[in-house]
Amino acid sequence: MSERYMAEPDLGFIHEVIGLGGNTLKKCFQCATCSVVCPISPDNKPFPRKEMIAASWGLRDKLVKDVDIWLCHQCGDCSTKCPRGAAPGDVLAAIRSYAIADYATPKAVGKAVNDPKKLPVLIAVPAILFAILAFVTVQLGDTMTSLFHAIGLEWSHGGEEGVIAHANFYSTWFVDVVFVPLAGLVVLVFAMGLYRFINDIHGQAVAEGKTTQRNLDYVGVVKGIIAVIPTILKHNKFSECTENKDRSTAHMMVLYSFIALFVVTNIFFVALYLLHSPGPYSQWNPVKLLANVAGLALVIGSLLMIKNRLARKDQASSYKDWYLLGLVLGLGLSGMLTEMTRLAGAEALTYFMYYIHLIFIFNLFAFLPFSKLAHLVYRTVAMGYSNYVGREK
Amino acid sequence: MDKKYCVYICTGCGIGTSLDIDALSEVAKDEGFPVKTHAFLCGKEGVELLKADVSQGVNSLSIAACSRRVNFDVFSFDGCCVDRVNLREQVAWSHPRDQFPALTEEEKAEGKKFDRVQMLAEDCIRMSMAKLKQIKVPEPYKLDTFTRDILVLGGGVTGMSAALDVAKAGYKVTIVEKSGALGGFAARMRKQSPVKSPYESLIPPVAADLIKAVKANSNITVKTDTVVARIAGQPGDFTVTLKKPGEKHPFDVPFPLPPEMKVDAGGKELTAEQQFEVYKKYNEGKEDILKFDPTGEKFGSVILAAGWRPAKLEGEAFAHLGIGQMPDVVTNTQFEEIAARGKIVRPSDGKEAKSVVFIQSPGKGGDDGDFAYCGSVTSIATLKQAKYVREDYSDGKAYIFYQHMRTPGLSENFYKSMQQDPGIFMTKGEVVGVSKNGSGLVVEADNTLLGEKLKVRADMVVLAAGMVPVTADDPVVNLAYRQGPGFRDNALFDQYADSNFICFPYETQRTGVYAAGSIRRSMTIEESMEDATGAALKAIQCVESSNRGVSVHPRSGDMTFPDFFFQRCTQCKRCTEECPFGALDDDERGTPKPNPTRCRRCGTCMGACPERIIGFADYNINSIGSMVKAIKVPSSEEYDEPPLRILALVCENDAYPAIDIAGMNRLSFSADVRIIPVRCLGSVNVIWIKDALSQGMDGAILLGCKHGDEYQCHFVKGSELASIRMTKIGDALKSLALEQERVTQKEVAIDDYHKIPEIINTFVEEVEALGPNPFKGF
Repeated sequence: MSERYMAEPDLGFIHEVIGLGGNTLKKCFQCATCSVVCPISPDNKPFPRKEMIAASWGLRDKLVKDVDIWLCHQCGDCSTKCPRGAAPGDVLAAIRSYAIADYATPKAVGKAVNDPKKLPVLIAVPAILFAILAFVTVQLGDTMTSLFHAIGLEWSHGGEEGVIAHANFYSTWFVDVVFVPLAGLVVLVFAMGLYRFINDIHGQAVAEGKTTQRNLDYVGVVKGIIAVIPTILKHNKFSECTENKDRSTAHMMVLYSFIALFVVTNIFFVALYLLHSPGPYSQWNPVKLLANVAGLALVIGSLLMIKNRLARKDQASSYKDWYLLGLVLGLGLSGMLTEMTRLAGAEALTYFMYYIHLIFIFNLFAFLPFSKLAHLVYRTVAMGYSNYVGREK
Repeated sequence: MDKKYCVYICTGCGIGTSLDIDALSEVAKDEGFPVKTHAFLCGKEGVELLKADVSQGVNSLSIAACSRRVNFDVFSFDGCCVDRVNLREQVAWSHPRDQFPALTEEEKAEGKKFDRVQMLAEDCIRMSMAKLKQIKVPEPYKLDTFTRDILVLGGGVTGMSAALDVAKAGYKVTIVEKSGALGGFAARMRKQSPVKSPYESLIPPVAADLIKAVKANSNITVKTDTVVARIAGQPGDFTVTLKKPGEKHPFDVPFPLPPEMKVDAGGKELTAEQQFEVYKKYNEGKEDILKFDPTGEKFGSVILAAGWRPAKLEGEAFAHLGIGQMPDVVTNTQFEEIAARGKIVRPSDGKEAKSVVFIQSPGKGGDDGDFAYCGSVTSIATLKQAKYVREDYSDGKAYIFYQHMRTPGLSENFYKSMQQDPGIFMTKGEVVGVSKNGSGLVVEADNTLLGEKLKVRADMVVLAAGMVPVTADDPVVNLAYRQGPGFRDNALFDQYADSNFICFPYETQRTGVYAAGSIRRSMTIEESMEDATGAALKAIQCVESSNRGVSVHPRSGDMTFPDFFFQRCTQCKRCTEECPFGALDDDERGTPKPNPTRCRRCGTCMGACPERIIGFADYNINSIGSMVKAIKVPSSEEYDEPPLRILALVCENDAYPAIDIAGMNRLSFSADVRIIPVRCLGSVNVIWIKDALSQGMDGAILLGCKHGDEYQCHFVKGSELASIRMTKIGDALKSLALEQERVTQKEVAIDDYHKIPEIINTFVEEVEALGPNPFKGF
């Protein structure tokens, strides 16, 4: 506090936040109603009043490094109660999007994810990739089989004759050769971002007197993260909201679907490569059952979210929100349709659906550290950090 | 005029049930006055009765009914003296019978007890009859020469707007402008802040349109490069000498002698003749005020719209802001001049100023005061100038550090729209320093909304300096009045030309001179134009009232004026000096020269005169004196324990209404107090109090307005002068072997009605404690 802070407003930042849905950031006149009504703001240096003036001053660094923007769950209580018609909830959401793009590398991908004009490119990359891989699987199956046999591996996981198996359209090898390294890359991008993130938020918290704990102990942060996991799973923060409380169910459905599908995918990965038992599996297989329930929950959850968003007139929805919701719904729908068309025996149709499904998965997966979905990681870490430094209500 | 009297007693509104009307009628009959009673005097029948009597020759009516503050239009008869006896609010309603029981028939017969309320009512009738004998029907004072032309001082937005308003109403008007051109500061601005919805974009300054309109109006004469040498005479007949700025002129206004020149080397006061000699020497080369310029122009009233000048920010208080030391730190007026020339550039090197910090308050030392003489106008001007930066440069940044951001009324919308601009950064904060940083500047501020000590880089810094009224430097009006050329108490108002800001805007302490625009307070262009209309209407009211020989304000329409019995004048000059409005000039011997149209009819001169030679037709030493004498003072011969008699002289502007309101709310107070309304406590002559005490009354209380720096007196000085006179009366009381505490003065505001019982009763108790007046019965 002793150092005098050189305020250097960033006009570009202001314009970007406005573009990301924070168009009311300049309306604030600092009455602090928002901080008073916020159900989850800590008593010490509460948000979002100070975030609002920092935003209207375009103080990029202050906000990107601010742990508090991640504590916000965008209930919208502040936006509803604001006497000036500002929507602090939306502004913080916009700043979070900006921060996600800022912590991810390469920056160009982050920009592209938030830019509707770049959507065709984001779709074209996996579309072309998977078209090539489909061509290889269908047309060059014999060549690939002999190649694989030379190194002692089985190429096809297509199963019995006459049964529709998606492996006959896309080799499972191809699928995994794309997604396994991609997962590694995602983890790497996150790791790099998180390292900066955790140091930034800590530095800022110390500078602004949000914590008295000067040293950053990573083990402590991890312990904090573990401590907040029950809170996250139970959606406790959501239920503290007054406005928008109904969001909790939909969000929970989507979150649990993703967890279930992640588990299912891993089990089948093990089944394929270690137990040498390729799909398709019986509908009565308990893992398959879980997958179907999760898929259904994903579709319903995302539809509910879309409905909620459309119904709320006082909350701004920008491209970043629709992109993610579209992706989640598309993912669930295309997945379910792929399975249903397969069971119905429509071979061409089911292969096409699978193609679409893979494009959605790629978008969700590859751009995870860049899209709004990255809040999964940043918010968890921020909450864990807050738990660690004792910055809680 | 042969007086034909009659007393009318109304028995409605609870008067008849409270009082013994027959006994009351006897009081009038004893005096030889005919009496009539009616149950509803202000009703159709009652008024018919009065009109019939008036047509039969009754011309002096004592109407014992409700307060003079109501039904004044009903009980008004041309050519008649009408006095109102307040039996309703101040007798019946404020002395309910459950607290002041009436006598039973037995008690009346016994004659030992007395009915305080009945005694009060009877005294009121006696006072009214006594007064009617002493007053006359007023006749208006007519000026020999008279003009309706109006003079406007100042050719800025306010002056031009006022001139246009006056001209549109059909009056001839002359604008006198000191500089070479009309328009004032508004003509030198780049843009004006928005005045209508949606309050988003700046508009061209209105000055150009006003100049065009003024030039096109045949009723308006414009004199540029001209100032007032002196304004002599009185409203309706001012003789004005105009001259070039800086020119020496025999009719330049003479200045009154400073107090130290009115005494000789030994500290003894010089005689009137000696003082006049010194005064002539002091004002060498200038004609005396009583000599009128034969070539002077005639005007009926004056609108003072001379405006403001930029405040000078100099000295230690502003050193930390770098003004005067760094060329890129400028005031808002300097910034406006830069903006009017073109793009915003730095004065130091002419480079583009893309980052500009606006400072609203000097800050430092925890003081959150703004610059002196600022106001909402400096807040709005800052928002406007911040917009210049954003209009000139798409990547421009304007910072505003404020302690107060004042955008009253709908101008709040302008603030909101400016706030929406991404390049505007505002925070409350205390600016602690401006320093050099390479070729630019750095501004440092504490206690900001951002929660910490801040600094920002700036190409330029703009200080929101205030608008100093030109009356701070110069009287401007240069009135050839004995009391001096300007307004006397401007220091009370930080040199703004003002008298009674809230109640009577535009009124100055000089009748016929009406102030408007930023000479009254710092104002925006929009506010100044509205203010101009107000002053224009007042100036018109003044010429029209002067023409009919009636008072302008606040006793609008009053036909009386002070009459002097000069044969007995001792040239003590008290009236000349004490008149709050400078209405009286005096000649070389000190004899007062009245100027009736300057007068506001407060009677302060009447209260001041030790010879008691000043009075009004219906309000004079004798009219009030005889009322005091008409009060019956019961002695110990009549009763074992005679009741007290206390005189209350009550200001009719605030205190009298407050007592009425107390009555309307049925708040009761002692019935031993006799209330006499006076025009102003300033008109109270100490002889009345001496008379009251020497006839055996036990005390006297004066109820009037708050005085001092935050006075509420309608006549500015009246209650203050009364309080000075009351301290002096102490010596006179001592010589009569009476306690000083028997006379007091209390402040009552018009909304203080709930305090009335406490004020009156406490004084009555104090007098009771002193015991009865030893002169009783003599």
